[in-house]
Amino acid sequence: MQRRSAARLGPLLLLFLLPLAWGEGPEPPRAAGELQVSNRLAGQAARVALHYLNYRLGSPSALRALGQVRKATVKTIPEIGHKYYLQFTTEDYKSSQNVGTCLATVFYLKRKPRPAVNINCTYTKDQKQTREDDYSFYKKMRQQTKPITGNDIPDSYGNIEPALEPAWALAVAGSSYLMWEKSTENLGYFMAQVKNVKQWITKDDSIDFDYSVVLHEIPTQEMISCHLRVIWTPGHPLKVKYFCLSENQRSEFGEGSGSESGSTNGIFNEEEANF
Amino acid sequence: MRGLLVFGVLFAAAFSQKLFVGDQVLRIRASNEEQIALLRELGELEDLQIDYWLSPAQPGLPVDVRVPFHSLQAVKVFLESNTIRYTITVDDVQELLNEEKEAMMVSRKFERSSNSFSFSSYHTIEEIYSWMDNLVAENPDLVSKIQIGQSYEKRPLYVLKIATEYGKDASLTAILDTVDIFFEIVTNPDGFAYTHSTNRMWQKTRSINAGSSCRGVDPNRNWDAGYGGPGSSSNPCAEMYHGPSPHSESEVKSIVDFILSHGNMKALLSIHSYSQMLLFPYGYKAEPAPDHQELLGSYAMSWVLFLPDRADGTTIDWSYDNGIKYSYTFELRDTGRYGFLLPASQIVPTAEETWLALMKIMAHIRDNPY
Repeated sequence: MQRRSAARLGPLLLLFLLPLAWGEGPEPPRAAGELQVSNRLAGQAARVALHYLNYRLGSPSALRALGQVRKATVKTIPEIGHKYYLQFTTEDYKSSQNVGTCLATVFYLKRKPRPAVNINCTYTKDQKQTREDDYSFYKKMRQQTKPITGNDIPDSYGNIEPALEPAWALAVAGSSYLMWEKSTENLGYFMAQVKNVKQWITKDDSIDFDYSVVLHEIPTQEMISCHLRVIWTPGHPLKVKYFCLSENQRSEFGEGSGSESGSTNGIFNEEEANF
Repeated sequence: MRGLLVFGVLFAAAFSQKLFVGDQVLRIRASNEEQIALLRELGELEDLQIDYWLSPAQPGLPVDVRVPFHSLQAVKVFLESNTIRYTITVDDVQELLNEEKEAMMVSRKFERSSNSFSFSSYHTIEEIYSWMDNLVAENPDLVSKIQIGQSYEKRPLYVLKIATEYGKDASLTAILDTVDIFFEIVTNPDGFAYTHSTNRMWQKTRSINAGSSCRGVDPNRNWDAGYGGPGSSSNPCAEMYHGPSPHSESEVKSIVDFILSHGNMKALLSIHSYSQMLLFPYGYKAEPAPDHQELLGSYAMSWVLFLPDRADGTTIDWSYDNGIKYSYTFELRDTGRYGFLLPASQIVPTAEETWLALMKIMAHIRDNPY
């Protein structure tokens, strides 16, 4: 992955060697030109890295949320953008238990639509168990003769019906793609609520959901409605299509299939041919 | 299958009876694969309309099922005749279906005084105002209620005054500080009522904006401190709309008037959700407040300190600029998982940790008068 990125940004090869060297040690380098980052921007960048990770792993049972940022520096690359170097802990999205640490770079590029992310994490949750949990959700959905539906997850009182919890988690994974795409250095996102979920019963191997979600945009506070289509087979990249309406009725749409550039040491089959 | 035959006979009987019990939730433990298969078949019988919350997967794992009242007898007989063990986890789903509404109903039944007000569930504006009256009625020497103004929709804006005395210890004689604490529990009653009635995510006031179909102003951008800057919006449809002019919102003006007429406020703590942060001035200018170092010094470790986002026209910037040195914004739980939709079970823990921080600040103010 590093080599591919370097090839595309030839003259900046040197800068991309930094993460390689860094990978051997626990701390990001302190070369000249690196600045300490404000807590808010560091947290924002770490969240972007996790959106990317949650999307790429495509595992509703293994979603992670940000714990604490331990270290953060930023490098300004003139005319290109800002590159963040981060070290942070992660928590299990549902239980809030600590599940490991990540090293990540998040590169906000001036002329690219979305941040470039490289992320490596340790993960202390039992991966066999998460695979089994994913599979049992998948199996249950495959066995549905009537498509499952739901509204307002969580509801106004913060409750998530147990039966709909995995579908909600899949919405978080799918929304992660969307939130990664939309995030900028200054704009961050949380998935506030699944307004609606409807399953499509399919004849193929995947399970298929239509979601309406509400995203909370920081720091503008805007609540953004998006429509998501998520197609999933455990162990395969998530397929996500989305369509968002903003307050001003500007529409944005996008599509993800797991072949986007970036890197993580997660467990999935990359589609090498697409590069 | 014998089990299904027996069930079939009773199914007809059940349907002809009028049962007035509500739906129930059963927790079933299947002990072998055959029982799992039976449970799956049961789920496929459409007339029963049973709803698996935890589907039959494998023996040993719990199976949770909601059973409509008209199917209860039939389902239970089916389970018993196949020696499938179960327990009733919810006697009446009618109440559980909307869990917090049920908690609110139950707590209303027992609420005759503020002592039995349930803090671990969400309440309507009427219930909160009623609780305030009960509190005052029961503690007349300690608590009084002051009306400081009205909201846009003419709801009263109330402040509770708690008169307390520090320095009661005989040892603290040098400076006897008498500090009153004022709580404005609901600063935006119109918005609050609207989250209950119509849109749970509503953040602004409910004032009508001339020339726009969008209502409401961000009450934390309407203050006269850096008002109208880029850390707010001039678009009435935006969440951070600063309003037509500083203090245009009666909800804001009422607090301004109250603080200025009091003239001796020492601290202002503005409590919001969410993100678990403690913010201090300034939002509207890049330089930290002159008392920055001191402000940083003195509160509970569990709070993460953040320099604020660029934010113009905020409460604490205004109060700081008007002589209230200890001006903070508290952002409560959580950090984004539930966000605005925080489960009620977190209300009390959130309050407890916030109170610890408030206590520290009050102690600091008491020890550092100005």
